[in-house]
This record gives sequence, structure tokens and C-alpha cells, in this order.
Amino acid sequence: MKKLIAYLLGTALVRAGEQISNKVPLAMSDGGASRGENPLASSQMLQNILQYKDGFGEQFVHFQTEWFQPLFMYIGIGVLVVFLLHYLIIGPKRFSHEGRKFYIFSLFMRIIHWIAAIGFVLIVPTGFMMVFGDALGGGALVRNARYLHSIGTVLFAISLVPMFLAWFIPMLPTLDDIKWLFIAGGYLSKKKREIPAGKFNAGQKMWFWLAMLGGLVMIATGALMYFQTVDVNQLLQYVGITADKDQIEYLRLSAIVHNFLGMAIAALFITHVYMAVFAIKGALDSMISGNKSEDELKHLHSSYYKKLIKQEEKSSQ
Amino acid sequence: MSEYARMKFYCDDERCIECNGCSVACDEAHELPVGISRRKVITLNEGIFGKEFSTSVACMHCTDAPCEQVCPVDCFYIREDGIVLHDKNTCIGCGYCLYACPFGAPQFPKDGAFGTRGVMDKCTMCAGGPEETNSAKERELYGQNRIAEGKVPMCAAMCSTKALVVGDEQEVSKVYRERVASRGKGVQSAPYGWSTAYKN
Repeated sequence: MKKLIAYLLGTALVRAGEQISNKVPLAMSDGGASRGENPLASSQMLQNILQYKDGFGEQFVHFQTEWFQPLFMYIGIGVLVVFLLHYLIIGPKRFSHEGRKFYIFSLFMRIIHWIAAIGFVLIVPTGFMMVFGDALGGGALVRNARYLHSIGTVLFAISLVPMFLAWFIPMLPTLDDIKWLFIAGGYLSKKKREIPAGKFNAGQKMWFWLAMLGGLVMIATGALMYFQTVDVNQLLQYVGITADKDQIEYLRLSAIVHNFLGMAIAALFITHVYMAVFAIKGALDSMISGNKSEDELKHLHSSYYKKLIKQEEKSSQ
Repeated sequence: MSEYARMKFYCDDERCIECNGCSVACDEAHELPVGISRRKVITLNEGIFGKEFSTSVACMHCTDAPCEQVCPVDCFYIREDGIVLHDKNTCIGCGYCLYACPFGAPQFPKDGAFGTRGVMDKCTMCAGGPEETNSAKERELYGQNRIAEGKVPMCAAMCSTKALVVGDEQEVSKVYRERVASRGKGVQSAPYGWSTAYKN
């Protein structure tokens, strides 16, 4: 009966001269498939079977079986080995923490920073735990890691906007950054010299932009994978983009992007922690008390130091 | 029946009348939560004369099951008769199997107090799971184990037009060939979805 009605309706539409797009009758016809608004359970899924090879499905399978786990392993081990060698061969930088202190980071920015930091401390290790879930045996341990991964994301998301707005201008690239990159930030020599850098050096800027813009992409792709049935086409419609890819394709693309971007973010996160905690002794102080010692500032952020001194002279005149 | 059975599903879209009986029978037999259907009946080209057809989709128990390949915690295992099953105690509910699946088979019921996505649920071809066969725990986690009892999976058992057929591939192929021959007209070279699910 239902088929008959649909058939009559279909022919009536044709008679009325209206073009039946594939989408209209399909939306009506998923039978018992969609109970509630689930874009994954539509009649499109039948067509997806035949289009599987053309979509992201096969690519996702390829990446997940051949690439993701080894790449995460190389990155995780590689970065740690490089820094271990750096620590042993070149060694950490030491600066005098006596004498004059400069107040660099306000209390608000420190709080924002540490909210993001707690977020990352939750996100990055749990991400690795999921990638190497087979080695951990899966089950409740890795499942809880997945839940923590989402909770960490909420913390990071809270800090994202204020951090971006507050540090956006000092994080813009300058000529110093090119010089910084040529000497790799001075980290390859034991010599104590003035490094060309403003309030933030080129390395910090790379981390900032990757964490902010990449982080936004990570939140978007992660949220889609978390909520799964949030209709992406509808969301895109709100911002004026017309797209008609199937939901599953967005999910597959999200998983691919999330993994590759996750590698880059994990690598720079480990770098950031190493620099702050091990490579520059006492660097962590500035994010705890807000103060940086004159010796450290003069050497590692020479342009910024000169600017501060100049400002001081001007105001004292 | 060959010595080594290879279990396959086949839905005859010439026979399927979109009654949704298979889907409802499956939900009831395995006492699935609301909103979860291991098997779905889908109609394509509805209202377009000569092009409309319905078919029933669930896990196809693929030969080289992509879900099994992508699972980050290796919770899948493939039985000797080709039935693809998974261990819900190991599963973390990440959803990768869903992305890999051409048939959209994996389902994710809500779980726990916060309504977070729970572990994956899918068609077991009524063969239960890794728990002790026909134990209360197996029934709770995976539903009935009809295969162990020598019964046909629920969906195919109740299909009123016998559109949905399940069993050893040689038997299923025989049924398919006989039907094609008796219809005496051109049909697809292989049943819908078979080229994706069964590569050899």
C-alpha cells in the first residue's frame, strides 16, 4: 500500500512537471531505517555500498591499518630520542634567576594557559593510548581514556578563544623569526648569545598557530566523531555552504584529518613541554609567577628586552 | 554443503516487500535498546516505476572485514565459518569500525549515566559472542545464539517472502542461481553488495 501511494505520488509529481531529484523521494523512503533523526541511517547508505571505493572509506582503512599507528610511534619515540640526545649532548640552558625580574604574563593569562595545559595533558596521552589500544588490551582502560580525551577537549576549548585574542598580535610573524629559524633558536649550540625574538620566538609562534588553528580543526573533527549523528550538511547550510556528501563520508574524513593533525600537535606539545621544563632551566617560573629573569629575557627574547628597556627609558624621561 | 561452510547473507531485492519484519524480529529477538537496529530495510528510487527496489542491510560478515582491520583494540574475530564477531568487553566504542564499514552496520547505543556513546553493537548472524555459548552473559551482551542451537538467524527465519536468505555460500548461491534462472530475465551479475563484501 505504501509503495502504491509512493508510486502514485511519484507519477503525480512527474505529471506536474516537477523534477524528482534523487534526494526527495529518498528522504521519505527510509522505512524503518531511521527512528529519530539519524543521518547515518538513511537510504543513502545503500548507495554508499556501491560508492565505497570512490569515497574516503577505503582510504581510511588504508591509513588506519598501514600508517597511523607506526607514524605515531615514530613521532612519539623520535621526538623523545632527539630531546634526550639534545639534553645529553648540548644540555640545558641555564640563566641567572637573581637580579631584576620582568612581569611578563598576567594572572589571567597564566590561568588560561594552565587550563589549556591541563587539557593537553589529558588529551595527548589518552590519544596515544587509543592509537596503541591493542597493546593496552582495550577494555575499560582505553574506553576511559577515550572519555578523558573528550573531557580534556572541553578544557582546551574553554581556553582557546581568550588565548587566541590575547596572544594573537605578539604571535604574528616578524623578521626575527626568519633569523631564529636559521639558527634553530640557538638550541644547537652551547654558546650563550642573544637570540632574535620578540615576546614569543618563532618556535613558540609555530606552536601557537598549530595549537589554535589546528586545535580548532581537532575540536571540530573530534566533536563530529563524538556526536556522530550531528547532521553536517545541515550545519554547513547554516553558514551558507551547500554540500550533499553523506554523513559517513564526513566522519571518515574527520578521522583521517584528526589523526594526521594529531601527530603534528602531539610532536609540538612534547617539544613545548621539553623546552619549558627541561631545556631551559627555570623557564617554567614565568608561567607560575609571571616573572622572567633579566638574564633569560635578554638572551632568549632579545628584541622584546630591548623594546622593554626603551619603553622604560622613555617613561622615565 | 562443503566441508568448510562460509556463511553469507543474501537479500533478494526482487522479493523484498519492505515489510520490515526482519528488522523488527531482530530487535525483539535480541532485545535491542530503542533506536538501535542491527538490520535495516531500505528502499531506493521509491515511486520511480521500474527502478524501485527494497533490500535489507546488516553486517555482511565480509571476507576481509575492514572493521576487523581498523579496530584500534583488535576486538574483532572471524569465526571459521566466516561470521564476524566482536568482544564488547574489549571494544572502546571509538567508531572506527563504522567508518570502515561499507554497509553502515556498526551501531552505538548510549551507555551510562552521562549518555556517552557506549560500545559497538552489530549483527552477530545470531551467533552470540565470545562469552560462554548460550550463557546469560552472552545473551545480555550479544543477544540470542541461534546458530549454536542449530537454528536459522532470526531475520531470515521469519522473512515472509523468503527474500532474505542466509547460510553456507554454496547453498545461498544455489538458491540465487535457481531464482535467476526461473525468472528468466536479466539481473545484476551478483547479489547487491556482494562484490564489496566477499572478494573471494
